[in-house]
Amino acid sequence: MTSTAIPIDPQTGVNLPGERVLIYHLRDVEKTREAEGTAFRLRVPSLQIALGEKIALIGESGCGKSTLLDMLSMTLRPSGIGSFRFRPARGAEPVDISDLWRKKQLNQLGDLRRLRIGYVMQTGGLLPYLTVRENINLSRRLLDMQDDSLVDELAGDLGIRRHLDKLPYMLSVGERQRVAIGRALAHRPSIVIADEPTASLDPIAAERIMSLFIELVDELHITVILASHAWRHINRLGLRHLEHHTHRESDGSMTETVVSG
Amino acid sequence: MPHRVKDILWLAGRDYRNEWQMSAFFIVSLAAVLGPMMILYGLKFGIVGSMLTNLIEDPRNREVRPIGSGRYDSAWVEQLRNREEIDFIVPRTRAIAATIDLKSETASRIISVEMIPTGQADPLLKTQTIPQSLQQIVLSNKAAQKLNVKPGDEISGSLSRRFKGRSERVHISLQVIDIAKPASFTRDGAFTDLLLVEAAEDFRDGRAVSALGWSGTAEGNDKRTYPSFRLYTSSIYDVAPISEALGKLGIEVSTRVADIDIVRTMDRNLSVVFWLIAIIGLFGFTLSLGASLWANVDRKRKELSVLRLVGFRTGEIVWFPVLQSVFTAIFGWLTASMIYLGVSFTINRLFASQMDSSDSICHLLPNHFLIALILTLGAATIAAILAGYRAARIEPSEGLRDI
Repeated sequence: MTSTAIPIDPQTGVNLPGERVLIYHLRDVEKTREAEGTAFRLRVPSLQIALGEKIALIGESGCGKSTLLDMLSMTLRPSGIGSFRFRPARGAEPVDISDLWRKKQLNQLGDLRRLRIGYVMQTGGLLPYLTVRENINLSRRLLDMQDDSLVDELAGDLGIRRHLDKLPYMLSVGERQRVAIGRALAHRPSIVIADEPTASLDPIAAERIMSLFIELVDELHITVILASHAWRHINRLGLRHLEHHTHRESDGSMTETVVSG
Repeated sequence: MPHRVKDILWLAGRDYRNEWQMSAFFIVSLAAVLGPMMILYGLKFGIVGSMLTNLIEDPRNREVRPIGSGRYDSAWVEQLRNREEIDFIVPRTRAIAATIDLKSETASRIISVEMIPTGQADPLLKTQTIPQSLQQIVLSNKAAQKLNVKPGDEISGSLSRRFKGRSERVHISLQVIDIAKPASFTRDGAFTDLLLVEAAEDFRDGRAVSALGWSGTAEGNDKRTYPSFRLYTSSIYDVAPISEALGKLGIEVSTRVADIDIVRTMDRNLSVVFWLIAIIGLFGFTLSLGASLWANVDRKRKELSVLRLVGFRTGEIVWFPVLQSVFTAIFGWLTASMIYLGVSFTINRLFASQMDSSDSICHLLPNHFLIALILTLGAATIAAILAGYRAARIEPSEGLRDI
């Protein structure tokens, strides 16, 4: 993994304990998509997310949430980048993501994802041929991490310990979503990205799982970015809202969302 | 990063096992192509192989037989004997003079047999004792049965001639030192030393044979010529060149070269037929496996994109369909080998009565199995190329949400 040393941001200052460390620092990043005469643009003039922060991205579908999440999870190449730095841990060198995209170092982006990011998908995204335990352990396995009983602890916290040796199809949708949360956290990533993690659940189960998720993230000191269209119970969890404004051209030819925070 | 490929191997294996019905379907459809192909090749190899073995082992296929009679002296025969392509040659006397009447004490009949001159390394007497003197003979199986004798028995031979207006008969006591195999000579015959055949000819020509005390005109053997000879080449492949060489000397010969050519042509033609079938079969299998793997990648798009999302590289994802294709190849080959072994065992049992005990009609060598495996692996890898390419193009972001 090559990381480019960049000048230390005057806002974050030097690496002192207790200092605010920016895991994401984006400036003038944008993504434009064009299809059938309509264009969509997501613009991020400035975005700073500190280590340990809990971010909520609330909005209707089509507002660009997914595009932003894809860029933050380093799976979507921005159309234009002023600067995009990723600093996965206090004391770690910031990684120049814009440079990796420019040099098409997709494998290094993949390595970064494997090591630093956990994902919770809308519908679990569990591998149907692995048991619950193997699914949770997958991210750890890929990093050759030794068993430190975290998998069992997570399974206990998530209330799925009795399902550990079952295949995903034997579980309810809610239970599967708990497994997905376990997998996203098991390798102790720097950040967990969750795109509508409770969209497929009934409201009561959704609220319970969401609270559990945030609790676990807090406990493990993991930064979280959560996208959801349901904001009512999100408010109660003490997440920071990411401001975004969408305007449409009157003729419908152009939609632009601007995110900053 | 080899340990990442190890992880892909594990995941591909788990998926393959989890969808065992699908996997079994692929395995069986491969075995259904490969099994019959192996049986077909086994039959070709077994039948043609045993025909070739018979050709090589049967000395009659190495025989070059002169047609009509000529005049060959000992020196000429000797010179041929020194040729590398010639395994055995012995001169023959006139056929009409080379008969002898035999009588044994254990049978009432006197039988007239043909005398065949023999010598060391006679291919027709490969495992038998060779007569070393005038009075030792090896009987053909048929003659031995008629005379009711066994090796070691003494029998009596007699020759007759008309000499100076009188009918004369001489007797000679002979020892049966061995009995030839039934296939070596199918009529009544006796393999004897050349000297005995020459003696019989001399006697019939009215000449004296001092070694046996037979009277007649002066012996004049110094200028003896022979009308014919027995010739066996070293291998079946020497038959054609030797007949050609003799033809150049004006000696017309008859051989089984045509039979040998028939088997060799048949081997070649059957190989062409087999490879045509094999290519069509493998091609069809590759296409159908390729299409299924391609469809599989589409079906598992979500799962594969999840793997990309959690950090597998493009080059590693390609292994997923390739490895599953290789699993199919290996298990399909194992199943086909099992089918082959069962069927060939049955075929060989069915035909056991028609074949020599050592021959099997359906037969493959270990390296044939290996070649089948390598071909199958090759076809499976080719089949997985498109699917692998498609898998490599799956974006990790597809795993984040439903499309």
